Amino acid sequence: MAISFPSTEYFEALKAQMAANEEKFRRLGFIDTTFGVSVGINGKARNFVLEFEVFDLKNVSEVPAIDLKKVDFQIKGDSQVWREMIENIRRNGEADSAHDINTLAHFGERLKVVYDDPDGHDKLYRFMESIQEFFDLSSKLEVSFN
Amino acid sequence: MAYLSTTNFTEDKDFIDKWLYTIRTGEMDLSWMKAATEKISPEEANPRRGLTYRDLNLGTYGYTDIPEKVRNNRSYAPRGAEIPEGVPDAQPWVSRKSELWAFNTESYYEEAVSRQWNATTDIPWGRLDGVELPEVTGKALSQLMTFLTEVEMIATDTPAMWLPRLNPDFIEVRAFIASQAMDEARHAEVFRKRALTTGWGLMQASPINEMALKHLRDADSFSEMSVALHLVAEGNVLTLFRFSEYLSPTDVDKKIFRLVMQDEARHVGYGMQHFKYVLGHFPEKREVLHAHLDEAENISFAGAAATELTEAFIILAGGGLKKENIEQGIRITTQFNLKQMQEHFERLDKCGMPERRERSKLYVMYEMGRAAAENAGIKL
Repeated sequence: MAISFPSTEYFEALKAQMAANEEKFRRLGFIDTTFGVSVGINGKARNFVLEFEVFDLKNVSEVPAIDLKKVDFQIKGDSQVWREMIENIRRNGEADSAHDINTLAHFGERLKVVYDDPDGHDKLYRFMESIQEFFDLSSKLEVSFN
Repeated sequence: MAYLSTTNFTEDKDFIDKWLYTIRTGEMDLSWMKAATEKISPEEANPRRGLTYRDLNLGTYGYTDIPEKVRNNRSYAPRGAEIPEGVPDAQPWVSRKSELWAFNTESYYEEAVSRQWNATTDIPWGRLDGVELPEVTGKALSQLMTFLTEVEMIATDTPAMWLPRLNPDFIEVRAFIASQAMDEARHAEVFRKRALTTGWGLMQASPINEMALKHLRDADSFSEMSVALHLVAEGNVLTLFRFSEYLSPTDVDKKIFRLVMQDEARHVGYGMQHFKYVLGHFPEKREVLHAHLDEAENISFAGAAATELTEAFIILAGGGLKKENIEQGIRITTQFNLKQMQEHFERLDKCGMPERRERSKLYVMYEMGRAAAENAGIKL
């Protein structure tokens, strides 16, 4: 059955995939960061907080708003951009060179990275490959878009 | 031979007699078993992570209670060991905690070890088979890789040359600095390999950047080295790696830049935490660090604007040498240059040096560049 995006179930499914691919994520190393994902839909947003610890996604929660003081950084963007990214990953098995997180967010034109503390912001790049591989696990999911 | 033993043991009759006596009789001294040291029972705080340096932060073996000025150990005795008479003075330059400590130092090291990667086997080099970039793009990419190999060779030397100068009581910082030298050696390796797989070989070395990089080696103190290397240089290079990933012409290049940016961001993280620590615990250093930043920012500005680097970026960003390519390349490269400067001042603000903007000539350049970009219709 297809998993709806955006939803807690989508991130929980990625969490399960991460656990199933433990060897790969162990090889990539510790990932210790908490960040927000915000998906804009018709002028509103659905917001999720993802807490990573050691090699795992420890917790996912949907929140009314993301407090930048409680996360390292937040990746926000319109649902169409997220959809394009996920569909691209599903088509290629991984994000192609136009759809990886850094490319989409670099100048903030498509996705935007916001933060309160530059040290927290830099954690996106400290754990970049793990975060990219995490989103690339979308290739293993059937995803539907509201 | 700069250091000679105080005794010629191979000609010391008492020493040789004792050695032979032990062989002959089996009579043992065993006084070392009575070392007056602490017995502890370290445990993994998180078994998924394993036994970390933080788990060893206990009693006399821990780092929490290291004094600001380490006076009782100038040898290679590990922190917490009994130090008998006769250990030589290793003459460490840095024995003051605030001159090198950083919040979470031990975690940066554990992260570094856990996130090591291999430039030979973790990069899908095979995907370059059959990839032929247009000549200008290939040469621009090779020029970027040539420049980055130069950068990383100096970035390897700089932390490595400070290692023997750090008091061994700061074993966690020493371990982190050693891991950084390894990271930088791997970066030099991966950039050289990529330059030589472009099909164009290496391009040209960069005099301005070598001048800028040489400054990193010539700091008078570890904190000055750290602010110049970890905050200014690596902060700029982290932004540059993200930009390079964005511009990368192949997914192999994207993978390379995603992996190197992880290491670079970790070094910047240590640098930020050390900068906060030294400003908070050694306030007299603030003016010294301002003075060092004056010079570090001056040459960083010159390096970032070096023709051989800027032109390579303009070509990669614009996609060629036609007028419209160059216009686009200049627009994107200018955005990147200004972003580098903006992020530099954001980090200094957060570390507790917000007054830097008032004093810094680089900040004047940033405002000048920003105004020029806006006048040229470049959206920031």
